[in-house]
Amino acid sequence: MTRWGMVIDLGRCTGCAACEVACKSENNIATVSPDQADLGRAFAWMKVMTHVEGEFPNTTMRFVPRPCMHCDNPPCVQVCPVGATYINDEGIVGQIYARCIGCRYCANACPYTVKYFNWLVPEWPETARAYLNPDVSVRPKGVIEKCTFCHHRLQKAREDAQALGRELREEDYQPACAEVCPTGAIVFGDLDNPRHRVHALKDDPRAMRLMEDLGTEPKVYYLTPRD
Amino acid sequence: MTQTRREFLWAAGAAAAGLAWYQAQEITWTAEQVAEAGWEPGIESRLASACLLCPARCGIRGRIVDGRLVGIFGNPLHPMNRGGVCPRGIAGVQALYHPERIRAPRLRTGARGAGGWQALSTEGAVALVAERLRGLRAGGRPDGVAVLAGYCDGTMHELWRQFLRAFGSPNYVADDYRDGIDAVMSLTHGISRRPAYDLERSGLVLSFGAPLFEAWWSPLQAYVAFGGSGGDRRDGSRPRFVQVDTRFSRTAARAQEWLGIRPGTYATLALGIAYVLIKEELFDADFVARHVTGYEDRLDAAGRPQEGYRSRVLRQYRTEEVSAVTGVPVERIVALAKAFAERRPAVAVIGAEVMQAPDGLLGGLAVHSLNVLMGSVNRPGGVLFPDDPPLEPLAAPVLDASARAGVARPPISGAAMPFGDGDPARRFAQAVAGAATPPEVLFIYYANPLASSADSGLWTRALSRIPFIVSCSPFLDETARYADLILPDALPYERWQDAPAPASYPYPTWGLTRPLVTPPPGAVHTGDALLALAQQLGGSVARSLPYASVEELLKARARGPFAARRGMTLGDEFERTHYRQMEERGWWLAEHTEFEAFWDDLVARGGWTDLFYDDTDPARLARTPDGRIDLMPPQLQGALDAAGSGPALYAYSAQPAGAPTPEFPLRLMPYRVSTLASGTLALEPWLAEQPTLFPDRHWVPWVEVHPATAERLGLEDGTMLWVRSSRGRYRARLKVFPGTAPEHVGAPYGLRHPDGELANPLQLLDGSADPLTGVPCWFTTFVRLEQA
Repeated sequence: MTRWGMVIDLGRCTGCAACEVACKSENNIATVSPDQADLGRAFAWMKVMTHVEGEFPNTTMRFVPRPCMHCDNPPCVQVCPVGATYINDEGIVGQIYARCIGCRYCANACPYTVKYFNWLVPEWPETARAYLNPDVSVRPKGVIEKCTFCHHRLQKAREDAQALGRELREEDYQPACAEVCPTGAIVFGDLDNPRHRVHALKDDPRAMRLMEDLGTEPKVYYLTPRD
Repeated sequence: MTQTRREFLWAAGAAAAGLAWYQAQEITWTAEQVAEAGWEPGIESRLASACLLCPARCGIRGRIVDGRLVGIFGNPLHPMNRGGVCPRGIAGVQALYHPERIRAPRLRTGARGAGGWQALSTEGAVALVAERLRGLRAGGRPDGVAVLAGYCDGTMHELWRQFLRAFGSPNYVADDYRDGIDAVMSLTHGISRRPAYDLERSGLVLSFGAPLFEAWWSPLQAYVAFGGSGGDRRDGSRPRFVQVDTRFSRTAARAQEWLGIRPGTYATLALGIAYVLIKEELFDADFVARHVTGYEDRLDAAGRPQEGYRSRVLRQYRTEEVSAVTGVPVERIVALAKAFAERRPAVAVIGAEVMQAPDGLLGGLAVHSLNVLMGSVNRPGGVLFPDDPPLEPLAAPVLDASARAGVARPPISGAAMPFGDGDPARRFAQAVAGAATPPEVLFIYYANPLASSADSGLWTRALSRIPFIVSCSPFLDETARYADLILPDALPYERWQDAPAPASYPYPTWGLTRPLVTPPPGAVHTGDALLALAQQLGGSVARSLPYASVEELLKARARGPFAARRGMTLGDEFERTHYRQMEERGWWLAEHTEFEAFWDDLVARGGWTDLFYDDTDPARLARTPDGRIDLMPPQLQGALDAAGSGPALYAYSAQPAGAPTPEFPLRLMPYRVSTLASGTLALEPWLAEQPTLFPDRHWVPWVEVHPATAERLGLEDGTMLWVRSSRGRYRARLKVFPGTAPEHVGAPYGLRHPDGELANPLQLLDGSADPLTGVPCWFTTFVRLEQA
């Protein structure tokens, strides 16, 4: 059984935010005005969270890139009254924009705060429409959106592999964040496939998941730094 | 009448067909209509190119759909970034399709800077410039043309230089990221080149304020080394990064260890480490004995005794005293020195911050002396001095009598400092604003001094004295606004250019950019415009630049690597390893026998590289007269002696430069934000939303202040402030950040308010510079904060 998941090595993450910007580029994520951003309405399906401890010169800081956790037991799916947010049989938690009624139950139920609501009509300057990714639909006002593990890439990769008459390989399907990560901190693949790196990494002694005690069974694992 | 079942079905079918026919009148399924809508079959490709947005020059791959660039990714074949890319590179599409791009040449109509413009054809614009230039040559003043250029190492730099030389002007003025570190290498090694750091094969990278993961020469080079994803490390080990810094930067946050120190004390800490290495005999005594002069005491040329490096360090840098000056605990200094000796090969990296101080050159020498002590020079994992890519030189310049006379005249910016040319742009502005005869024509290429320099007032005065200013900026930045003619360059994704890896990367690597998409009809590739200009000027200028286009010029230059019998077009990890191992054993395999095939491959893969570094070549260790590294360079000694009082080599400077006053109590600590560095590009929304460390900071420029300081001043997080020095003020929002020292204000550079208002901390600087290199001091200015 395929179960797509991610392992993020926090010992390798430099907080450069290439993942964050690559995600915005890949998924046509709209930019909100500075005033709206101050209200906390900026979108970031992938977001580098930071945590500071101590004072100069004994400061430490942790960087935690945070995509959707694609929980095996996703609270957002349970509360959605219209089946707009769903988990597919390969473990990807997706969002069907046409079904979404904008009730935002899922955004409130998600303990990782990874669901973003379109408060306004997303806008792009006329010239900027040129760089929109044709593989990903833009979202209307009034719906929730979220990280999809770039599942439009999976569809393409699967077709390509089929055309070549071979099995889908790990490198065939990588989300944009994993593709651009300059230190190789983000590793993506099938958690149940022993040939994929994530299969072994998820059982690493350093591996942990966010808020595991909630029983959400996230499929994003973090490796804590060695030192 | 009864209906049979058959009849019923026939009638119903006919009715349905009729209805369908009727409705189909509204929907026309014709090929013509599709063509009218401009729709064409979707074609997707991924093409190799290079990023030109910062000096790192990473290899990229553009995803092009239907002639539009919809995504930028790293080129996995490029040996430096290996498929990785930074946020700034990805956001390049937002620069390309920016609504504020200038899409056609413009001629000023009203007063300067008033914003009146008139559109112009590209041919008309080039002809206008040609006419001006012809007038200069006819009037015997070819040196009346000047070029102010930002960082453009590679063929564009050489093209400008060649053009000026053939035309007859010595006035090429660089406004780039120079930091004077080449002077350190020139003095100690006799090699005037910025050092390359072999971070990837290093055991311990000790960075003195170098923003390795931020606005360094190549953050991607540092990322790849930090990630440990390649190279010779088969055991999965990674270099240990130790960051010595005056502020808690992102590099400090991610290094395995960080030491916060007081500003201006980098050299003291370095020599404090040297003290432990010498005292405990941990340094490479064999290397020092064989390759280094100036370590032991000696007699100088006049026969007088001269104290050597060893005696000076042992006499002055006792660990307790170093600890008191730098603020680093004694045990950490000792532990760091021991780690530096144990985790060989270890390398000490000089950050620009070391050099941007009144005694910056001496500080750089002190930091680099650690590499010399440990023998981490010309060895894997240390400081390397690689060759430049073996490019075919440009055609020999032809100088007529007028050009020869012009080139021989003194440059407007006057003479450089004794040991380097730290800020030629400032000297140029001072000369032009002052008494010097100003140039008649100034080209501005990827420089925006009205926004990025420390003294925009000086630049305004200087520019007002220049009759004709041509800007090549694709955006209407502050300086372009002040121009008479704008010849908007094509963006990097629309033009041919080369992209040599920066000096920090240890292997000669020549990346190529090529047009991934078609430029707007009015954009002119500055290189092509320059070649066209040369043809219009004719005579010796045209003969010096006999190329139809930059593409043709690059192709001519590629004959060099083709014939070099070394290196390879960019390849995957297997090919890289294969070629390196062959070359190590003295072999080389020709991938191509035909030049055309080589060129096609070069373009398809994105460049050329040679991953073999010959560390047995003594000329890569030192090119001094005696072939030894000199820790006490006599020319520097002479200059310091001649100056009399003032700093001495490896002498103790207990106090950081500058002091707070009751009026200006806080030290300003400017730093470059990696994603937004130079201010020559328009604001890209993705980057403005995610500028750096702080997830809660969007769009609005900020300054960082320690919580205790903020409390003392009665200022709350998020307050809009004026940051004021004796030189000026700018607006920024307060960010309370415990990683800033209580007596400092952390001031990111390169930010703008959403309405375009600049927030440039450099404009508050006191204007002082290292007298030896001319590199401006960034950390000697004090400010106060006022509620705005």
